[in-house]
Amino acid sequence: MRLTRAQRHLLDEGTDAQRKAMEILLTVGRLADASRLVPITSAHVSGASFKLIGEPGLEFLEDFASSARVSVPTSVNPLGTDLAQWQALGIPPEFAEKQARIARAYETMGVRPTFSCTPYLLGVRPAFGDHLAWAESSAVCFANSVLGARTNREGGPAALAAAIVGATPEYGLHTDEGRQPTVIVKIRTKPRGIDYSLIGLVAGERVGDGLPFFRGFRATEGDLKWLGAALASSGACGMFHLEGVTPEGRRARVKGLKSITITPDDLTSAKRAHTDGTEADLIGLGSPQLSTEELQAIARLIDRTPPRIPVWVFTSRLVRDGNPEAVGIIERHGGRVLADTCLEVTLLEHRFGTVATPSGKGAYYLPSLCKQKVIFDDLETLLERYA
Amino acid sequence: MKIRARGIVPGRASSMAILSPAPFSFVGGVDLATGSIADAATGIAGERLQGRILAFPTGKGSTVGSYVLYGLGKRGLGPTAIVNRRADAVVAVGATLAGIPMVDRVDVGGLRTGDRIVVDASRGSVELPDVKGKRVVTAILRNRGQILIVRRSEKVGTFQGRWSAISGHIEGREDPKHRAMVEVREETGLQGIGFRSAGDPVLARDGATMYIVDPFLFDAPSRRVHLDWENVEHRWIRPEELDRFATVPRLTDVVAAVLGPSA
Repeated sequence: MRLTRAQRHLLDEGTDAQRKAMEILLTVGRLADASRLVPITSAHVSGASFKLIGEPGLEFLEDFASSARVSVPTSVNPLGTDLAQWQALGIPPEFAEKQARIARAYETMGVRPTFSCTPYLLGVRPAFGDHLAWAESSAVCFANSVLGARTNREGGPAALAAAIVGATPEYGLHTDEGRQPTVIVKIRTKPRGIDYSLIGLVAGERVGDGLPFFRGFRATEGDLKWLGAALASSGACGMFHLEGVTPEGRRARVKGLKSITITPDDLTSAKRAHTDGTEADLIGLGSPQLSTEELQAIARLIDRTPPRIPVWVFTSRLVRDGNPEAVGIIERHGGRVLADTCLEVTLLEHRFGTVATPSGKGAYYLPSLCKQKVIFDDLETLLERYA
Repeated sequence: MKIRARGIVPGRASSMAILSPAPFSFVGGVDLATGSIADAATGIAGERLQGRILAFPTGKGSTVGSYVLYGLGKRGLGPTAIVNRRADAVVAVGATLAGIPMVDRVDVGGLRTGDRIVVDASRGSVELPDVKGKRVVTAILRNRGQILIVRRSEKVGTFQGRWSAISGHIEGREDPKHRAMVEVREETGLQGIGFRSAGDPVLARDGATMYIVDPFLFDAPSRRVHLDWENVEHRWIRPEELDRFATVPRLTDVVAAVLGPSA
């Protein structure tokens, strides 16, 4: 790989963490046959929930934090619990203590303590054409597809290495060629509600690590957040196009591509396939964390049809603090608005057995990551059922 | 014998190999406190990684594997090198964090637990000082979706009576593809075959001998075969029928190297 003089200097004479970071980027670059590093405008690292990374992750992060400092604006994924409400959630103190140490290690490295999977909702958004090193699969899909920024699906340590160096190996979704679609996906229905999640789940299963070019429906930015999160869960997709909607759809070459069709029946069977519970103990909303608009809409729905089972709503600290009224309404009806964490990376398994959710990503991961049975349906339907 | 490999994490190591024929995850696959293998599917459960070179086809499972490998390295309990068929980012990043030399593009199917092995990830090579390497070519001939197999005569030096594809030894520095085409002409009499692709080398082990097989795929314009003395019988079969025949070692993998794993 060709290195600039500054990059060479980091590799030869940088701090321990800078040298290690350069070595990680060289390893990732070798795997991908990348020929150089491209400068990035921001990084987003994953690997923050103690539930997922455990003692080995904590040990690495604390060691690394002794000399690692990020050199570009860097945000970080959700933790395993809400740092302000963990006691009320029945989280074991040892878990909370180790979780707080992970948070501190990231802060020591200069990472913004966002603890969010929606860095694109936290004020500064990447511009069209910006190169990034983002590690959260749903955020990667959003940044590439909806914003036209450029990032591969980075692993946690690789994104952290890129944050330290300020550059990432140039291959895949950083290149024009890597952003071309590999398959046309026609949708034979007018989607609403969880249909966007279902389209993502079905398409991800069928296209694997391909790059789908969707055709046949309209969607808002909010809809595409749910579609992309589901797509990146069941498939290894880092990007999609939607004809007439996403910014790079017009540049996409679709001539001669294989075409597949998703029918309303496909969506119905996917919904059934991801529902194995019968009675929910909890309604879980998030995954990805909710935007201000989504939080306010949920508060209105809950106010109209208050559920008799607990509702946990996951959002970022920023959105929670900015919406005290919506938070108040949800809490008044017995729900909780949790920040710093998200649905499937938080500790649920110590209290619940079945979770109802309208999130495709949540429905996909809850069984394996939280040992939960799932009821996957629209929020309105769930609220009426548990009124 | 010494073969080429792709260096992933630079460095050099020399020790005894331990092999997992199955994909491996450092999460659940190894006990972090002792550095011994915990996953029974590897066939080497209980073996310690320390002081050994760990070979497995590819990584699998949780991304936390990178941190586990870091922790093993920090405690001095990790392997001295890692050899893969195809490196994945989780293991490669973990090996980088731990400073463990790593190579890939090595057919680990030819390695055995207990082999003495030298890994040079900086230069990109793997050496087995106690094993003699013999370079051979294998030509997979394809006609209308079927491939040609031949049964080896009693007059050939090795694997008499077994089913094989057209093959032959590489002599000196000759071009393997050229050798493959010469063998096809000699052993089948077929003319006008069309080269389609070359596969990554397959390592077929026979005791202290390693056959380093360069696989090639050719399209045959006809099915009319005239055998020479090396073979006594031939058949055109679908690739998935291979397992019904007593073949030379790893023929299925050689076919898969040019036709894909469905074969």
